[in-house]
Amino acid sequence: MRIMYINNFGGGFADHIEIEEGTTVSKLFAQKIPDGRPEDYLIRVNRLPASRDQILKEGDRITITPTKIEGAAA
Amino acid sequence: MRDVGDTEIGGFGISRKDDLLLVEDFLTAKQTASVVSVEFDDVAVADFFDRQVDLNHSPEQFARIWVHTHPGDCPYPSPTDEATFRRVFGVSDWAAMVIVARGGQSYCRLRFNSGPGGSIEIPVCVDYSIPFGGSDHEAWHEEYKTNIQVKRIVPRGSFDTAFDSVSLCNDAMAGDEDELFEDAGFGFEFDPFDPWEECQCEI
Ligand SMILES: [Zn+2]
Repeated sequence: MRIMYINNFGGGFADHIEIEEGTTVSKLFAQKIPDGRPEDYLIRVNRLPASRDQILKEGDRITITPTKIEGAAA
Repeated sequence: MRDVGDTEIGGFGISRKDDLLLVEDFLTAKQTASVVSVEFDDVAVADFFDRQVDLNHSPEQFARIWVHTHPGDCPYPSPTDEATFRRVFGVSDWAAMVIVARGGQSYCRLRFNSGPGGSIEIPVCVDYSIPFGGSDHEAWHEEYKTNIQVKRIVPRGSFDTAFDSVSLCNDAMAGDEDELFEDAGFGFEFDPFDPWEECQCEI
């Protein structure tokens, strides 16, 4: 099953990947960002917030982006 | 764009595909910013990624060069900047933190996270050998108005002495500005206290 996968981990990725039928959001996250903490990322499927148990479907677009990007002057 | 408002401004450098350290554009996402801080809206960051991918840009082109301004003349990263650079950008093979101070100074550190890793400060310059368009103040103002939610901070007490000013600056450096200021929803009525006037750049 093909889905679109977007993240900035490692070399960065924005392309189609093959996944097994029944793959959940949390399973894909664990495969792709094994040392990552889900709370450090916003995970969206088709531009909508996704639950960890959500099962990915053919053609879905999953975007994993960092949260709390903040700076300060001093 | 740096000087459009009196707050910090954060965004991403958009790199040329065949030369990733050549930044051709600077784009912001919705954020909350004050004179001493800037924080992106998480959903806006996700929208930014999705939009950039729709434009056929790779994450290396749009998500590796984190740029933000410092309203004073100190371009050096704060502990908050360092923490974000490590936590958010430390998972990519490489990333750069660019800080542009209003006084004209700039800072850029390129960080490599693959292999043995490491980081190096690199100079920032305008490459006049590459053609680029003119400045567009109207567009900058529009982008600022659209994306930067200004968090106004006003001092609770008066800051009449240089000692008070330095004290405030140092406290803000510790990230405690919320305890020292209150969000009053409006700007300074008088010539605002400028913590950078008194604060030396001590990073
Ligand atoms: Zn900063």
